Amino acid sequence: MRWRRTLLILALLTPGLGVILLMIGSVFYVAVMQSFGYYNLVGEDSFSLEHWEKVLGSKQFSRSLSYSAYIAVVAAIGSVILAYPIAIWLRRPFRGSLAISAVLKAPLFVPGLVASFLFLNVIAFHGVVNQFLMWIGITDEPIRMQNDRGAWGVVFLQLWKNMPFALLLLTGAVQSISDEVLDAARDLGAGSFARFRKVIAPLTVQAMQAALIIIFIGAAGDFAFQVTAGPTNVQSMAQYMVFLKDSFGRWNQAAVVGVSLMILALFGSLILAFISSVVLKSGNKW
Amino acid sequence: MTALRSIDVSKVFEDGFTALADINLSVDPGEFVTLLGPSGCGKTTLLKIFAGFYAPTTGRVEQNGADVTSAPPEKRDTAMCFQSYALFPHLTVAENIEFGPKQNRVDRDERLDRLNELLRQVDLERHREKLPNKLSGGQQQRVALARALAMRPSVVLFDEPLSNLDAKLREQVRREIRGLQRKFGFTAIYVTHDQSEALAMSDRVVVMSGGKVEQIGAPEEVYQRPETAFVADFIGSANLLPFDRVDDHVVETPLGRLTVSNRPDPNARFICWRPEDAEFGVSEGGNIVTSDISERAYQGAYTDLHISVAGAPDQRLHWPGGASCVGQSATFRLPPERIRFVRGEIA
Ligand SMILES: Nc1ncnc2c1ncn2[C@@H]1O[C@H](COP(=O)(O)OP(=O)(O)O)[C@@H](O)[C@H]1O
Ligand SMILES: [Mg+2]
Repeated sequence: MRWRRTLLILALLTPGLGVILLMIGSVFYVAVMQSFGYYNLVGEDSFSLEHWEKVLGSKQFSRSLSYSAYIAVVAAIGSVILAYPIAIWLRRPFRGSLAISAVLKAPLFVPGLVASFLFLNVIAFHGVVNQFLMWIGITDEPIRMQNDRGAWGVVFLQLWKNMPFALLLLTGAVQSISDEVLDAARDLGAGSFARFRKVIAPLTVQAMQAALIIIFIGAAGDFAFQVTAGPTNVQSMAQYMVFLKDSFGRWNQAAVVGVSLMILALFGSLILAFISSVVLKSGNKW
Repeated sequence: MTALRSIDVSKVFEDGFTALADINLSVDPGEFVTLLGPSGCGKTTLLKIFAGFYAPTTGRVEQNGADVTSAPPEKRDTAMCFQSYALFPHLTVAENIEFGPKQNRVDRDERLDRLNELLRQVDLERHREKLPNKLSGGQQQRVALARALAMRPSVVLFDEPLSNLDAKLREQVRREIRGLQRKFGFTAIYVTHDQSEALAMSDRVVVMSGGKVEQIGAPEEVYQRPETAFVADFIGSANLLPFDRVDDHVVETPLGRLTVSNRPDPNARFICWRPEDAEFGVSEGGNIVTSDISERAYQGAYTDLHISVAGAPDQRLHWPGGASCVGQSATFRLPPERIRFVRGEIA
């Protein structure tokens, strides 16, 4: 009887879960196989480590891997750090709080590419910022701000786009903490920072980790912000992948970068989530 | 010196609602004072003003003679026991209890001493590593108590700490709280809407209604000598009747002409007597009342009788015997010294 039940459940799950697994699995499978020399558009299929060797040996790859990792870490941690105080501030409704939280979430509705075009318009040579700086006399010539080498533009865009998402997740979690629990912490001598570190953060750690993971994955794979506003001396992983495919159709090498990006997304986000919970645990001990 | 004192404290919330008006209260060190009143009368608001969560709209709060009106809760020498316990759900029993001492940088040995002593006091040694959601209501209440006491506060503020416990447990925790108070010697301000709790536990009772203090006094005092109709009615059960003054010793009431030994207060609106004040089997000496019985309810130790009175609500009295011994009417005597005069309105 038991195996028939199991079979029935599997059969019922197949239409939904099966399709999802098939789609995820097939993409992953093709990418991995391609990186090892299969699924070639032209030429013979055969197993080879040549593509991995070439890509991993290139300086450009290691630069773009660490660059994407850096952007993803800064975007994830920065968004969460910015979102927490706002979530705590909006914890209890007050006059105008609904409007404020709606405005803060607006970036969620603006596609990334549109946002970065608007951003370029603001900081370009003829953009409002330069016009303003010249008008008040801080500078005589427009300052070059776009595609800065420090990637500040990309970081700004990442935070602008992802902070609202972190806010969305954290607001719900922060609101579920009862007033009396926070009052109790205060009564026992905890100031606002101690209340955050010892009560609010540990009680919202799951939402925080979800935000970190999802933002990390999105930012690690960024293409749009990087292409429009990013530095020109380094490529993000996604950008590098497209570059490999476009120059001489190096599909297999592009696949290597793609698989590496997936590995970065998976392990990077898990490491981030792990570190955050370790940090919080140490906070409770002393 | 007073341990805690409020001077002309009032509280008007942002929405314009006046929750407290002119509260003057002085609490002595080591005293156990209860704030007693119906739900919504401002007890929690006053407690939160003492704890520092609310700033009073007008007036001052003093602790040991020092003005603490604008000190935040984390800087006050008070500890609060919340109605919902408010335990930290992510911390174990021991971590909950150590939260305050850690926050106040009490050194490790001292902290562990306090923890172990308190765990023993509230009988939670076996549960020290458990999370709060693995404990029963009574155990959670005791963790909350231990957590507050671990601060060694000079004042402990209790907000209806027993209201979520069943009757039997309530009795037990009530005794534990008094025991801990005797042991640690803290000053206690205890909020409750349960008059029997207030009478049983307190050195003094502050009876509140609609944001105002009705009467402050020892339990016997507020029970035996209520000053207002509200206090008489809220604590125990009371019979209230309008009266006309005949002279200093005689009043005219719906029960007839009664002799009184207390002088009618010129502001008094009603006379008040308690169901257990009625004396049966006496037919001499004045103040004898005979009336029809409209209802009877056997209560074990006595039978609760309702008698009908023309021009007034039914009066209640306790007949010290079984229901079957009661006829159609009751004859009893009201001793003149038991008749009190009270001010105020009948709710
Ligand atoms: N933050 C607030 N804003 C407006 N009104 C409040 C607030 N807190 C309490 N009140 C009102 O003040 C009154 C007293 O409340 P509370 O002190 O909690 O009463 P109690 O503890 O005696 O039941 C209630 O009518 C309540 O609705
Ligand atoms: Mg209350």
